[in-house]
Amino acid sequence: MSHEKAQKTQNEVPTGNASKSSITDEELAEAMRSEREELEETWARPSGVWGWFTDTDHKAIAKRYIVTAFVFFLLGGIEAALMRIQLAFPESHFLNPDRYNQIFTTHGTTMMFLFAVPIMTAFGIYFVPLMVGARDVAFPRMNVYGYFVYLIGGLLLYAGFFLNTGPDAGWFAYVPLSGPAYSPGKRVDIWAQMITFTEISALVGAVIVIGTAFKMRAPGMSINRIPLFVWAQIVTAFMIIFAMPAVMLASSFLASDRLIDTHFFNPAEGGDAILYQHLFWFFGHPEVYIIFIPALGFISPIIITFARRKIFGYVPLVLSLISTGFIGFGLWVHHMFATPIPQMGESFFTAASMMIAIPSGVQIFCWIATLWGSKLNIKTPLLFVLGFFAIFVLGGLTGVMLASVPLNLQIHDTFFVVAHLHYVLIGGSVFPLFGAFYYWFPKWTGRMLSERAGHLNFWLMFIGFTLVFFPMHQLGLNGMPRRVYTYLPETGWGTLNLIASIGAFVLAAGVLVFIVNAVWALRAGVVAGDNPWGADSLEWSIPSPPPNYNFHNIPVVQGRYPIWQATADAPIVRGLNTKKRETLVTSVMDAQPELRFDIPGPSIWPLMVALATAVTFIAGIFTPWAFLVGAILAGITLTCWFFADPNYENKSARETGEKSEKVAPRVELQPKEV
Amino acid sequence: MSTRAVIDITELPHHQFDTYDPVWWGNNLLLAIETSMFAILIATYFYLRQNFALWPPPVAELTATLKPLPLLTYGTLNTLLLVLSCGPMILTDRAARQGSRGVCQIGLVICVLCGLGAIVLRSFEFSAVYFRWDSNAYGSVVWFMLGMHLLHLLVLTTESLLLTIWIFAREFDMKHRVDIVTVAVYWYWVTAIWILLYAIIYYVPRLG
Repeated sequence: MSHEKAQKTQNEVPTGNASKSSITDEELAEAMRSEREELEETWARPSGVWGWFTDTDHKAIAKRYIVTAFVFFLLGGIEAALMRIQLAFPESHFLNPDRYNQIFTTHGTTMMFLFAVPIMTAFGIYFVPLMVGARDVAFPRMNVYGYFVYLIGGLLLYAGFFLNTGPDAGWFAYVPLSGPAYSPGKRVDIWAQMITFTEISALVGAVIVIGTAFKMRAPGMSINRIPLFVWAQIVTAFMIIFAMPAVMLASSFLASDRLIDTHFFNPAEGGDAILYQHLFWFFGHPEVYIIFIPALGFISPIIITFARRKIFGYVPLVLSLISTGFIGFGLWVHHMFATPIPQMGESFFTAASMMIAIPSGVQIFCWIATLWGSKLNIKTPLLFVLGFFAIFVLGGLTGVMLASVPLNLQIHDTFFVVAHLHYVLIGGSVFPLFGAFYYWFPKWTGRMLSERAGHLNFWLMFIGFTLVFFPMHQLGLNGMPRRVYTYLPETGWGTLNLIASIGAFVLAAGVLVFIVNAVWALRAGVVAGDNPWGADSLEWSIPSPPPNYNFHNIPVVQGRYPIWQATADAPIVRGLNTKKRETLVTSVMDAQPELRFDIPGPSIWPLMVALATAVTFIAGIFTPWAFLVGAILAGITLTCWFFADPNYENKSARETGEKSEKVAPRVELQPKEV
Repeated sequence: MSTRAVIDITELPHHQFDTYDPVWWGNNLLLAIETSMFAILIATYFYLRQNFALWPPPVAELTATLKPLPLLTYGTLNTLLLVLSCGPMILTDRAARQGSRGVCQIGLVICVLCGLGAIVLRSFEFSAVYFRWDSNAYGSVVWFMLGMHLLHLLVLTTESLLLTIWIFAREFDMKHRVDIVTVAVYWYWVTAIWILLYAIIYYVPRLG
């Protein structure tokens, strides 16, 4: 297709059923001046304590998620440091075995369920609406519910931990160890119910992200123009939807085996311990990708911005994300090679485990191709991405090693596995996450983080990480099992362990530099402006921090890089009500305007339903009757939610003198050029 | 003086049926979650079956029947009731689209009654399974399947009841007409899942 024709189709305005007109710049400026006050009032956030409990603003909820998850990250980090102190020297008595078990279980549980998944969800909740040009997420009240359920789940785990009732059967709580016979008391029950809370919250987040990304994109953002960040969030959300039910069943079966004597995992009555492993890892392996794929979504925009050019291979990148999502469901048995699985079955999972390296490789080569020959602008976010390449590729290599059954059996449950999983999770997820912190901090706060401190932060974390985890490969090959609270001096593992422990403190210093940097920047950082990095995506087209209503006029997107490709006379959307909360709903494939959707405002009922959920599952640790009481409470609170602020839309429709609603016919469209 | 093209959306509606409305997507994504839950639950059923020479397992007492199959009566009645209830639900679905409030009111009342009937029948189904949840793994998984589906019957019936109250006591507005069409999808789904569960719970043991 000729350039001229491409240009023409690019500037076509997708109107769907809406009408088209034009406005001069002066008229527009005048209209916006008079609307601004009304918009501010309509989208005003409630203040005070009541406001904290009722606010539905997606940016406020997401920031809350991020701060909460970061606090859990610090708690998990402190637990890691305690373990490293214990293991620094042989026959150490800093921690006793029971305390050590609780600490490594709480560390793993915190990092996986209370830090990694929620913080990735939080980035989606903050940026998906901003990147697709919406005024809020699709279901803002459900979003509030999701946050409170998550918070309560996290508090439950730590309440148990500080009362010496922290779970102690490992973060995947295998039966029979976690079953009623070998884990009396309530420690494992707390773990099982905490899982329920965090899974509910993750599922809620997934539905919100898909709803927003599918139905609330600005006109012109057809499916082939969706930003790569949003694609990563969509793929993750679908993985959550298909993976999380497995762990909910696993933890519910476990809890009911312990509470009401069911026999799902009791071999004496026909139950099966391996069934637990299947259920857990059918969730647990996709979980790794649920943590990792959003991080891939951070890397693409950072590379686009700092390489200052369009991404190489948009379509292969999207297809890689999607195929990673699919193949991710075919790997779970490689966690179970040490169980009696038929060899034929094992070989399929070996093949799938090696196959997943292909889409990962495609992505890395696309990014390298984008960076190659570009005039790099080496700022801290890009530095973390480059660190990701180094660490993640090493973690991927040990992953290919672990996919091989004979080697896997040899090093199963050793420190080699610990090294591998930290290489892929910290390298694949935490490094891009810190890059994302530096990249988007100006959007959240309006201020820049210090670059000098950023470089220091990166190098401390990179060197510290390598010191902690690289020696663990050798420790594992030397035979040091994971989850032992101490070891004998004769084993000769002392030196490498000491190096790892020193590294842990270097890594911690890096995180500390970040915290100091953030606190300093909030007070004295350079004021960022709308688009400090010269980036391409829509969140940078609005002020930092964004106003409550995000976009005064919903933009019309003219390409994959909306800001870079916007023409001076770029069309805009007009006609959203300023007296009530509305956003534009568009079609899934072509993003043609369809509805002026009502966005619900602040409400206390999401919190009340979250509390009903909390009563159900926390009391459910002690008595099955909690589920009856909880069902009644949930019914009452949901009924109130349903009937609360009656007629808000009809009333405001009357006030604003709106016409009756017409039915929109579907419009057929020609496919568009990118 | 430059001008800009404007997409004027003042005339667009607030709500529209099916794929237009985000609520439709929210509901269907919930159903996707629950479908994967039931799929894994069914996989669990067949996984546990491998551990038994006889399914259901024989009873220890000499006086009891050698193969304690689940009784068909209540389960079959329940299946019939749910399949039949789709009739009024289809009519309600259509009426909501066309905007006839009266048909929706009558249809929803019938559906809520069917839902209540299904819940009552379900409580008998538990005892029609020969074993309790704590007898053996067979009892555990069958009770769990019945229970998870009961949970959906409860939610579905409550949701339909609330919508019924709304359109009797308040307005028959577009927002809640979209809700009715969305609940209809949920209703068909609950019925379809039950047909699958019914076939597995009641006929897999009869296959031998």
